[in-house]
Amino acid sequence: MNLIAPTARLIDAATGGVLGGDDLAAQVERHATAYAGLPPGVVFARSGTSVAAVLRYVGALRADRPVAPLDPSLDPAVLADFVRRFEPAVVVGLAEGGAGATPGERPKQYRHVDDPALGSVWVRERPSTDQPHPDLAVLLATSGSTGDPKFVRLSRGAVESNAAAIGRALAIGPAEIAPTSLPLYYSFGMSVLNSHLAAGATVLVVDGGVLAREFWQAVQTHGATSLAGVPYNYEMLHRIRWSPAKYPSLRTLTQAGGKLRDEMILAYHEKIAAVGGRFHVMWGCTEAAPRMSTLPADALPDRVGSVGPALDGGSFAVLGEDGVETDRPGVVGELVYRGPNVMMGYAESSADLTRGDEQGGTLRTGDLGHLDEDGFVWLRGRLKRFGKIFGIRVNLHDIEEMAREQGPVVAVSGPDKVVVFVEQLTDDAARALAGRFSERLKLHRSGFDIRAIERLPQLPNGKIDYRSLEALV
Amino acid sequence: MTLNDRLRTVFVDALEVPEGTDVENLNYRGIEQWDSLGHMTLVAAIEDEFDVQLETEQVIDMSSFKVALDMLRGLGVDE
Repeated sequence: MNLIAPTARLIDAATGGVLGGDDLAAQVERHATAYAGLPPGVVFARSGTSVAAVLRYVGALRADRPVAPLDPSLDPAVLADFVRRFEPAVVVGLAEGGAGATPGERPKQYRHVDDPALGSVWVRERPSTDQPHPDLAVLLATSGSTGDPKFVRLSRGAVESNAAAIGRALAIGPAEIAPTSLPLYYSFGMSVLNSHLAAGATVLVVDGGVLAREFWQAVQTHGATSLAGVPYNYEMLHRIRWSPAKYPSLRTLTQAGGKLRDEMILAYHEKIAAVGGRFHVMWGCTEAAPRMSTLPADALPDRVGSVGPALDGGSFAVLGEDGVETDRPGVVGELVYRGPNVMMGYAESSADLTRGDEQGGTLRTGDLGHLDEDGFVWLRGRLKRFGKIFGIRVNLHDIEEMAREQGPVVAVSGPDKVVVFVEQLTDDAARALAGRFSERLKLHRSGFDIRAIERLPQLPNGKIDYRSLEALV
Repeated sequence: MTLNDRLRTVFVDALEVPEGTDVENLNYRGIEQWDSLGHMTLVAAIEDEFDVQLETEQVIDMSSFKVALDMLRGLGVDE
C-alpha cells in the first residue's frame, strides 16, 4: 500500500529539510526494502514526532506489513507485555522519545540490530506462528479510559478510504501544509498524516506541541495552513489568549477527540472566519480509522453542538431503546456507523491478528445521540456513562453540560452519588453548582459531590483520564 | 525573599518536583513533570505569585527558568 501521492512532502522543522518527489519515494522504498529483509510479522513502531518515525511508518505500509505506531513514553513494562502478547517481527524506533522515554530491556527471543535504514531495532529470532491477516494494515492501541489496552485492527481499505474521505471533507489539496500538532501514535494525529500524504499535501513534522516556541516558529517559517487539536489544546490556547490572526497562513482549524464547549467553538469559529478561514468540528473513534463525521464550516454558528453528517461513503443510524435501527430525525439512541473505514475488530493477542473482518462495516459507537432532518449527528454522551444517585439513573454527560460554563469539568459515578470535578472552582461556585444540579434534576444536593481540581488529569493523547478520576472517588 | 528564590519556590510547587531540584537548569519538556499540563500550571502559579498577566508570546517563550526570570524582570517585578 502506497499512502503517498506524488506531490506529497515532509518538512523537517528541526533542520528545515524538505523531502518530496523522487527523494521521498526513494526513502520510502529504502525503508520498505529493509522491512522485506526481516522475518514475517507485524511491526511495532515506537513513534515520536520525527521524520524518521514517519518514514518507518509509511515504509512499513509500503512493504505491506501491519504496523502498530506506539507511544515512545509507554512504560517499558507495558511495552514488554505488548511484545509478549502480540509477538511482533520487529520493534523499531528504539531511540525515539523525549525525556525519560526508554523501551526497556530487550525481550527474550529478540536480538538487537542496527539497520542502516530503520536504525536501532529488535528483531524476533523465530517468526511468530500467528501470522497477520493479509488485509491488516494498522494497529492502534485503544485509549486506556475504557478498558484494558488492546489493539484496533484496521484494514488497508479502511485506512485508504478514510484518508481519502477526510481529504474530500476538508478539501485538502497539494497546497495544504499541516503541522504535526498531535502524536502520530494517536488516531487523530495519524489521520492528519495519512490524509495529507494521500492528498499530495505537505506534512510539517514539528515536535513540541502548541505550547512550544519551536512549533509556532515552524508554523510561521513554513506557512502552515491548518491546525488540528483536541478540546484540551483549544482550551489551553484560549487560556493563553492565542489568536490565529497572528499566523496569516493558518486558515483551517480542526477539532476532534471529545466535546469542546459550544461557546469555545463559536469563539474559534468567529476568530478564524474573521480572517477568511474555517473551523471544523469532527467526530471519530479509533475503531473507524478514525473519522466518521465532519461539520461543514458554514454550518456554524447555526448548528453549533452538532458534529456534522457522515463522511462521504459512510452513514449513520440510531439504535432506539426498542432495539430497532432508524434514521428518523429526533430519535435518541446509540449511534451506529456504517462505512468502509470501520475496523476489522479488536486484538488482544497474536492469535487475534490472524482473524479477518468481524464487523462487516458496522460499528456500534457506544455514544448516545440523535440525527436531524439533514442527517447531522448531535451527540449526548457515552451510552454507559451513567451514575446513580439514590437509585435514580443520571446521565453524567448532561451533568457536565450543566456545569460547562464553569470551565473544564468531568462527572464520574461514586457510591450513590455523582462526583463532579471542575478546574479551579471556588467554594462558593461549588455550592451554587450543587444547588443548581439539585434543582434541575430534582435530587437532594447531598447526591452531588463537587470538587475543585487544579487540572483535570490527561492521557498522553490529550484526552481526559477518566480512570484516574474514578480512582479518586 | 529575592525574586530568584520566589520563582524557584513557584517552579518547585507548580511542577511538583522534590525540594532540592535544580530548577534553574530545567527546560520545557526536559522532564516528565514539565509537560503542557505542567506548563499551564506553572503559568497560572507565576501569574498568581507575581500578580502579572502573561501574554501569549510570553507563555510560549517561557521555555526555561532563566527565560521566566528575565521575563519577570522585564515586567518590572521587584528583585
